[in-house]
Amino acid sequence: MARTRTTKKLAQRIDLNYFKRPSASKRAKFWISVVVPVMALAWITGQGLSGNPRIYSSGRMSEAHSVLENQCATCHVQQAGGFSAKAADTACLSCHDGPVHHNDQVKTPECAMCHSEHRGRINISAVSDRACDECHADLKTKTGAPNYAAHIRSLEDGHPQFAALRDGSYDPGTLKLNHAIHMQPIRRSPNGPVVNLECGDCHRPAAVKTNWIYADERYGAAKPSYSEEEEIHLVKANNLTSHAPVTGRELMAPVKFGTACSSCHLLTFDKRFEKGVPHDKPEIIHLFVVKKLRDYIAAHPGDVRVTRDPDRELAGRPILPEARILTPEQWVAERSTEDEHLLWRKTCQECHTLRNVPPGAGNDGAMPASGTTSHALPEVEKSNTVARWMPHARFDHDAHRGFTCVSCHSKAVSSTNAKDILLPGIAICQTCHAPGPDHAESRCSECHTYHDWSERQEVTPKFTLPTIRSTSR
Amino acid sequence: MRIDKSQRGWAIASLIILAGSTTAYVFSAHESPRGATGGSPLGLLFGSIGFGFMIFAALLGARKRVPVWRIGRAQAWMRGHLWLGLLSLPLILFHGGFHFGGLLTEVLMWLLIITVASGIFGAILQHYLPTIMTRNVPLETIYDEIGHVHSLLREEADRSVEAICGPLGFSKGSPEDSLRAGGFAAMRPVAPVAGSAGSGTAVAAAAEVLVLSEEESAPLRRFYLQEMRPFLEHPKKRGQRLADADKAAAAFAGLRTLLPALAAHAILDDLMEICDEARQLVRQERLHHLLHNWLLVHIPLSLALILLGAIHAVVAFRY
Repeated sequence: MARTRTTKKLAQRIDLNYFKRPSASKRAKFWISVVVPVMALAWITGQGLSGNPRIYSSGRMSEAHSVLENQCATCHVQQAGGFSAKAADTACLSCHDGPVHHNDQVKTPECAMCHSEHRGRINISAVSDRACDECHADLKTKTGAPNYAAHIRSLEDGHPQFAALRDGSYDPGTLKLNHAIHMQPIRRSPNGPVVNLECGDCHRPAAVKTNWIYADERYGAAKPSYSEEEEIHLVKANNLTSHAPVTGRELMAPVKFGTACSSCHLLTFDKRFEKGVPHDKPEIIHLFVVKKLRDYIAAHPGDVRVTRDPDRELAGRPILPEARILTPEQWVAERSTEDEHLLWRKTCQECHTLRNVPPGAGNDGAMPASGTTSHALPEVEKSNTVARWMPHARFDHDAHRGFTCVSCHSKAVSSTNAKDILLPGIAICQTCHAPGPDHAESRCSECHTYHDWSERQEVTPKFTLPTIRSTSR
Repeated sequence: MRIDKSQRGWAIASLIILAGSTTAYVFSAHESPRGATGGSPLGLLFGSIGFGFMIFAALLGARKRVPVWRIGRAQAWMRGHLWLGLLSLPLILFHGGFHFGGLLTEVLMWLLIITVASGIFGAILQHYLPTIMTRNVPLETIYDEIGHVHSLLREEADRSVEAICGPLGFSKGSPEDSLRAGGFAAMRPVAPVAGSAGSGTAVAAAAEVLVLSEEESAPLRRFYLQEMRPFLEHPKKRGQRLADADKAAAAFAGLRTLLPALAAHAILDDLMEICDEARQLVRQERLHHLLHNWLLVHIPLSLALILLGAIHAVVAFRY
């Protein structure tokens, strides 16, 4: 007969007081439950006694302030053996000046409202969009209607098109440049090679020092009488000065004749001379031309005998004798008038706009008749090259160096009018800069700054190295 | 405790609290220039409620110690422990704005995460393991008595073998011997064996079972002394043939062919059952460890969490 299991037998084999006996697992559970909290208490007591300020800190300091990790009193007021949780603005302003954003802003937030500390090793100057749209979502000013878009919440929500690209805007530059032609294959001379220009052959940031392919060393090394700044058109903002370039690679430098144009656009002025005129003001060019001619005639005195060239005579003008003997001064005056006429009427105007161009001998645009002289000089209109289109924003070409120029400046390929603004629109920026993990940073602070640093006040240093490196509070 | 329909009320209430808290958190984090912070009014509210839930969850231990108190059914406390303890994690994450903060708060966050994770692990175990236990350990006994039951099984096996093989020197013959291990009543009468002191007192005497001669009993004796007895003494030891049900069945089948008397085969059946029960008790022990050992992490860390959390709360409110 098989073994059978009965409830009675089951009960009989059990010690009814078994639960009173401490088992190994019960003992382990009890002692671990005692030891672990005691260890926790001992740990926090030890941390407190050792004066570790990080124990009650609400988080690691930002990158810029990491050196103050153990210096709670620098920002927090000490009270009753501890520190106040809130850091006052005065603590920030004792090291930093925080110039006001706009003088007509209706409210000025506390420093910590935008710059949140104890959030880990973050860039504390990169504030959240919410800090900006606190005002810009519904912008009001003390002086009434704001000058800027009044409802901006973020780059993708309410940010207007760049001012430079709004309706009616045009490039104020006066240089006559046809981008479309320059982006096509070009024959450098009647029998010269065909070249394909790259954007970087003409446009480079100032800090880039590599060789220019289409430069003429003489022009590149020359120091013109005009300054580069005189040619720059400043796009001014009402407030908040432009960010100063830091690396020199952020912005494209204005295109220079000596480095970008001189190899193809020759400034030759007379078949007697191989060397062209300097790329300078008309006064300088005139002196150069006259000096070259004087030097020439001194070396070739026989050339003062000028024979008539029927091909250059214009109808209705007095017919000159078959041959004339000129004084050297007359010869120089006549030749310089002819040469300069070529320059003012053709060579310079290829790119520049000239005012008060001396007329030809009775017929504008025509070559002066032989024997005429003129020493009137034109005025070259200021180039007005725009070096910076967005005075309120920061842009770094270097940070975008992995992208081809035309992927953003797509209009450059087809633009035939120098008045076209080739700045990419905000939609191009929004292609990459947007919220989310698969996009580039899009916070306001990526391009804009809050404080008007032109109003910056200097602060007195307060730390010494021994103080800052000490671990005591 | 099983996660079944009886938890629906708690689950719905928890989901509502979570949804409300999430909405409030998202709105606050989006609208505040500084994002969500523990020191903001909403942050403090999240922290207070989360800590309150933790304390409630911790009070389950106290509630168990005083079962006679009329402060709600233990099941309700257990459900509250489960759901409010689980809710405390998102609420505390909302409190800190998903930042772990300084050293103390970082430690607190990790303690909370480990405590909640171990609790979830324990809840899953408690949902599935009792069913597995019922299915795989039909001869389940009280865990604390497993060692004692093992010794009873050993004694029963000793007596059974001595009954047909003659004395082995194991039987004690105490009055307790009349109790069969595992709650089995020994219904099989065996013949008294001359010289085997005490064995006759274990069960009722009967003449059906004959004592085998030394030569006939040699295979059983050898098997018992070399394999089964060591197995019953150390059933958890690895590499034993009898620890595996299939191998044990094969071993007994082989042994059966070597024993002549049919009555001896009945004893072999008993020995097989004893081995099976011993294996079940080992299985029960393992499942019990799995079912309860997570508490060795959960309880101590939750106590440390409450202690350090209270310190954090005092410091935060004071400064």
